[in-house]
Amino acid sequence: MIKLLKIECKKIMTYKVFWILFGLYFFFLAAGILMAEFMINHMVDGMNHRLPIPLPHVTLYYFPEVWQNLAFFASIRYVLIFPAIIVIMLITNEFTYRTIRQNIINGMSKGEFIVSKLMVIFLMAVFTSLVLGFGAFFIGVAHSGLNEMAILAKGIPFIFGFFVAMLSFLIYSFFFGFLFRNTGLAIALFTLYTLIIEPIFYYFLKSPLVFKNQISAYLPVNAAIRVTEYPAITVLKKIMGLELQRGISLTTCAIPLLYGSVMIAMVYWIMYKRDL
Amino acid sequence: METILSIQQISKRYGRIQAVDRLSVEVKKGDVFGLLGPNGSGKTTTLSILLDLVRSDQGSYEWFGLPPNKESLKRIGAVIEHPNFFPYLTAVKNLQIVADIKDKNYEDIDRVLKLTSLYERRDHRFRTYSYGMKQRLAIASALLGNPEILILDEPTNGLDPQGIAQIRTLILQVAAMGITIILASHLLDEVQKICDHVAVLNKGKILFTGEVRKVLAISDSFELASDEMEKLQQVIMLHPDYKSHSAQGNTIQVYFKGENNPGDINSFLYRNGIVLTHLAERKRSLEQHFLELLQETL
Repeated sequence: MIKLLKIECKKIMTYKVFWILFGLYFFFLAAGILMAEFMINHMVDGMNHRLPIPLPHVTLYYFPEVWQNLAFFASIRYVLIFPAIIVIMLITNEFTYRTIRQNIINGMSKGEFIVSKLMVIFLMAVFTSLVLGFGAFFIGVAHSGLNEMAILAKGIPFIFGFFVAMLSFLIYSFFFGFLFRNTGLAIALFTLYTLIIEPIFYYFLKSPLVFKNQISAYLPVNAAIRVTEYPAITVLKKIMGLELQRGISLTTCAIPLLYGSVMIAMVYWIMYKRDL
Repeated sequence: METILSIQQISKRYGRIQAVDRLSVEVKKGDVFGLLGPNGSGKTTTLSILLDLVRSDQGSYEWFGLPPNKESLKRIGAVIEHPNFFPYLTAVKNLQIVADIKDKNYEDIDRVLKLTSLYERRDHRFRTYSYGMKQRLAIASALLGNPEILILDEPTNGLDPQGIAQIRTLILQVAAMGITIILASHLLDEVQKICDHVAVLNKGKILFTGEVRKVLAISDSFELASDEMEKLQQVIMLHPDYKSHSAQGNTIQVYFKGENNPGDINSFLYRNGIVLTHLAERKRSLEQHFLELLQETL
């Protein structure tokens, strides 16, 4: 295991594209999170011109809501697609450079190859979650008063929820990488599915055209990003009548992870079935 | 001699194309074994099966007398088709990855880089290498950690004459170290210069296998001329080893079965009343042999 990790480190350490994309991801993530409150309140101001009773400004950065809000914004599909593209590249590069063949020739088993990529994914998800967790902590500390500090820990499980979403999403992209092997094709199809095909399905299943059903909640990408379903914004509750999410339910975590496990099994099957 | 590789009846079909057809081969320790055949004859597919990249439909093979396993692969150094490395990594980093996978020491990296004359460029990225250097780095990676067998697939493909000479010298050096070599090539000349054993492949089948030295030693063709050409053509057909002949201008070219020396031919003809004005032995090259074998199977 350590040996495989060492090999992956060598492959990634001096791979500039990886660091640039990963850096950009964190930059946009941070920028998005820090601008979110301003943007939302700007919208609220816009609406208030036309409303008889003005809506209050939202606050995103207080404990304990800050955990949930950051987890929500980081789980948006347009944001998650960034690290997913990185994962696809790390996998399809091995096919493009044919280094996977050379790895197998040199005595790495196909299973070891798969495991080493899974370890990278796992570490990426852990690292991102830690960054998000620390980010939420510092933002929270900067904004909260003593009253809120007392209930600081209440929202921490949302960071775990983000970890589950991120890990599953990266496993989906890992699956696309192994399935299509070609960088451009895998990225294009993954983006197409995530951003267009599944949302269309989602709205179709929710529309009055079909019988009332719960299937839309079980679509793979949707299941992953809905681990943190809503941001903790009280206004939303008022306007849309939504119940605020209290915490992370293990059932919602299990669905994307189950999809992920099935995809990992399929990658094994594909790799042992197909010639390299 | 100890058998290093034994292949029993492996077959592989791609759609309608039978890439490998019940192929059986044995390679002994210390052999420099040539796998010779035109493009598309199944050389690379065969090697890919032996290196666990491709699954055969039928048949089995054994490295070192053991069923296929990844530990055996670590004792083999192989390059199939192209040199496969990370373009953004330096030669040293690329070789470190190879060493990690094979559980070999990094100390050997300098040695193989020196052996392949890449030591000066060791800290340059693979991307910046010329094709010849890439090929040499592939051989360097195959030689890492002293493998018991070196497998090379068209190692001189796409190289300039100087590059070809470098690679061939390198292969002969490696052979001199006692490392078993399996070399796939479509170049007869290459196999002739480097190998001691050869298997000739066409359409996935072995047409011929044996020692290169013996193949080349068969003097099966003679060029003859006499003042009485018609009588010569009648008499030569009476020779017990006669196979065929053809007229070529003022001479005839005669093929015999098995080995004959010019003296025996001359005395046979003299006894039958023919005085030769010209007698030349034409050693059949592997190339001719190869073309004949190919024709026979068409």
